[in-house]
Amino acid sequence: MMGMVYALLGVGFSLTWGVMHVIHISHAAFGLLGAYLAYSLLQHFGVDPVVSAAVSAPLLFLAACGIYQLLIKPITKAREIIVASMILTFGLAIILENVMVLIWKADPRIMTPTYASGALIVGPFYFQHPHLVGFGMSLVGITAVYLFLKKTYTGMAVRAAWQQPEAAQLYGVNLYRISMITFALAVSTAGAGGIGLALLNSFEPHSHNLWLIYLFLVVIVGGVGNIVGTALAGLIIGVITGLSMAFLPFQWVNLVTFGLLMVFLIFRPHGLFKQVV
Amino acid sequence: MMKGKRNKVWSLLMIAAICCGFMILIPAAGFGAGKPIVIGGSLPLTGEFAETGQWIERGMRYWAEEINAKGGLLGRPVQFKIYDDQSNVGKAVTFAEKAITVDKVDLLFGGYPGTAARAVMAVAEKHKMVYVSMGGHMKSFQQGYTYSFGAPPLMGEWWYEGFFQWLNTLPADQRPKRAAVYTINNPVGLSLQDGIERWTKYLGIKVVINEKYNSPLTDATSLIVKAKRENCDILFSNGFFPDGVTTMKAAKALDYNPKAIVQGIGSVVPAWVKELGKDGDYVFSGTVLHGKLNYPGNDKLNAYVKKTYKLDGYPLYFGFGYAWMQVLQQGVTGAKSLDQTKIRDWLKSHKVNTIAGTMTFDKYGLPAPINFATQIINGRVELIWPKNVRTREPVYPKPAWSK
Amino acid sequence: MEKKRLGALAVITILLAAFPGLNPEVYYLSFMFSVFMYVVLASSWNFIGGYAGYLSFGHAAFFGIGAFATAKMAELFALTPPLAIFASLPAAALAALVALVIGYPCLKIRGPYFAVVTLCFAFVVDLAVKNIEWLGGAEGLWMKTMDIPEQLSRTIMYELMLLLMAITLTVAWWLGRSRLGAGLRAVRADEEVAETMAIPTARLKIQAFVLSAFFPGIAGGLFAYYLTYIHPDVVFNINISILIVLMAMFGGGGTWLGPIIGAVLLTVVNEGLSTFAQAEIARIIYGALFIVVTIFMPNGIIDFFRKKNGRG
Repeated sequence: MMGMVYALLGVGFSLTWGVMHVIHISHAAFGLLGAYLAYSLLQHFGVDPVVSAAVSAPLLFLAACGIYQLLIKPITKAREIIVASMILTFGLAIILENVMVLIWKADPRIMTPTYASGALIVGPFYFQHPHLVGFGMSLVGITAVYLFLKKTYTGMAVRAAWQQPEAAQLYGVNLYRISMITFALAVSTAGAGGIGLALLNSFEPHSHNLWLIYLFLVVIVGGVGNIVGTALAGLIIGVITGLSMAFLPFQWVNLVTFGLLMVFLIFRPHGLFKQVV
Repeated sequence: MMKGKRNKVWSLLMIAAICCGFMILIPAAGFGAGKPIVIGGSLPLTGEFAETGQWIERGMRYWAEEINAKGGLLGRPVQFKIYDDQSNVGKAVTFAEKAITVDKVDLLFGGYPGTAARAVMAVAEKHKMVYVSMGGHMKSFQQGYTYSFGAPPLMGEWWYEGFFQWLNTLPADQRPKRAAVYTINNPVGLSLQDGIERWTKYLGIKVVINEKYNSPLTDATSLIVKAKRENCDILFSNGFFPDGVTTMKAAKALDYNPKAIVQGIGSVVPAWVKELGKDGDYVFSGTVLHGKLNYPGNDKLNAYVKKTYKLDGYPLYFGFGYAWMQVLQQGVTGAKSLDQTKIRDWLKSHKVNTIAGTMTFDKYGLPAPINFATQIINGRVELIWPKNVRTREPVYPKPAWSK
Repeated sequence: MEKKRLGALAVITILLAAFPGLNPEVYYLSFMFSVFMYVVLASSWNFIGGYAGYLSFGHAAFFGIGAFATAKMAELFALTPPLAIFASLPAAALAALVALVIGYPCLKIRGPYFAVVTLCFAFVVDLAVKNIEWLGGAEGLWMKTMDIPEQLSRTIMYELMLLLMAITLTVAWWLGRSRLGAGLRAVRADEEVAETMAIPTARLKIQAFVLSAFFPGIAGGLFAYYLTYIHPDVVFNINISILIVLMAMFGGGGTWLGPIIGAVLLTVVNEGLSTFAQAEIARIIYGALFIVVTIFMPNGIIDFFRKKNGRG
């Protein structure tokens, strides 16, 4: 269950990595920002988090465009953009975290929408309502991104730019604009993903570090740039964790999850699925 | 890029680095070498433990305000030199050394969390400086340090004493019979288990589930499912705020209604009441500090916190910061000097009065086990044991979840 | 030209070694200790990360293994403090052994996948240690220290870490000029091509990986003694792993000098900022530093200056 929400957060991360070769370390921090925005809207205006997700998306999109122009574009000329992007976004993440501390203080927060309690019971399985909402949001979000990439003109341009940059350029695709759109899209989905995660657990400015680790896992297992793969990876990781919680002493759960992932990566290093975007 | 621009950038970089280098070399400037008493050390002001670090600082600063208004310590104003160790233990150690050897502070203040305190206790000992802090649970006080004091300490081993003593007063047939114990796998959690093991044996409560989990606890659903399945009528959630919240939410969603829920450290944070609201009610815990305790000073702190932060009752770590300073203050005033050994000896042979009561310290630097049982009732942390500090009757068994 | 650099390093090392003679305050010895330590960590990481191009994101694991092995051996064999410090050598051997065992399957994985598998590895080690009571579990381990004046104790640690740093940097320098190094660079440039040229890529990678684990192991042992108390959260901390990568690449991966610059600059700036700016502001400036430097010097600092001197 958790897994899908990580997948939603991860989709954007995967895209930026696959298309732009930018490892966006502050991706999770933007997610957190989305969560804080939703929290504030909930507290002060009673806005439901899911609505906030829809609202925050365009806001983040615009902000991301700005950030792209200012910060990312200059480093696209680097010889190893992957490394340069990591360093730069690492700095950005620190800034975002501390700005959040300044605005919202370091206290942990919980998102308590009206459906916060109650669970759906299906046989021996319990599903808490906020988890279901998070799951639903993720499905919608991931499907939206997938459809965008497959069906819209811009989306296809993105895929073209990713698979064959030179050829795409020959066909008149403006790589910079595409990159900017990809980046902005990724960040806007991050906001929704962050809100999903906030529905599940408490959060505080430092939380993005933890989220980032799971992001890496989900994206790698699913295959970089592979939307469907990321989604499935999220499900799988969620299932593994859930199963191990059911059958193992809880002490070993995290160890097993990471251990299995390690083994998996050793035997199938390119992720679960072939690169099919 | 033009060569000129590169030169500029290079020079800027060098200047920046050199400036930083100089900043480190220059010891913190005080107003004048002799006048104020400087109390130094580090706190996690950013990073993972930022929230707690900031509350400790506020408590300390309140104490300083108060004492400076009354003429200071030994007639001199007190000042802090607080470094941000970024929630990093290695940095806590180097900053402690910086405070002691470079800034040459007169006194040290206690840090957070327990792992940092454990490491800094060693440093304080080597430099023979009195270190009043929360300590790092029982093990840290068994290392043979003489200069460290837990005043009061955050002693996981004592945390549930009050709760169990109260439970002991209930007739046997009303007490819970089967316990589910979930503990976070870290020094705090492990120390909480200690008390549970002793008391459940004594009270004849069967510990049906006793499991540890590693942080982070992303989902407590299976924990609660298991507890329900085993008909556990008392739940111990030994962890911090995030896991406590996850557990409570799961318990509510799954409609798990044990007779009592005992939550470790997380429920004493202001955010618990603020964020969980009604759902956080009826949870038992323990504490060493509380605004409603009858000891002198508590009402002043409450008033201040109400005015400044709009909270009812001061937060635990605010109290800690204040209390540690209180003890340090009495040690200095009692020894009539800033000589660390004299302060230490005075503290080891005299009583001190704090907002947590009076304390005398044994050779390990620990007071007698202090613990007050708490329960959150109607969004307030109420004291329920010992009887003489009780502020409200405990609510037991726990009412079912209200939707 | 390179020999001149090595000579300069030797001179600086001798000067640094003499520094304690000025009787500086303990804090400076401690601070320099941590600077040296990060140089060791970043430089040895660079063997596999910068030279070979395999970014290991779990290198703190080796650091931690060194720390825990040293502390545990000291406890098990009731080693007196001077011996306890030497226990860091077998501890480092253990770290290197682990690297060998792990490296064999993991180094078959390329690019970002390698990064993630090493990340997982670090977590697995961290969780394993926490779950094993014998290794201190989640309580951590304490070490006994020598009963000598603090100034002397810190001076000894300072000199030891300085020695370790000098050795590590010499190895780094040698590696850059050796056949092994050339082979690694070929791997980094294009592994398939290297293989067709009959370069034993697998063997070279494993050698580099093992070597890159050994020195952090010793550093871990020294750190354990220095801190007196270690805990998995402290030594297996992912922040250390990430920081090492950033330091090396920030300064310029693939060069001998890069990690030194990165480690020194970042550690010094961080300390300076924390000392003088208000906590959150200091962190924001620190974050901004990364951004600014990357925008102006996207290939690392060393590369920037190389180009400037026309040696691109």
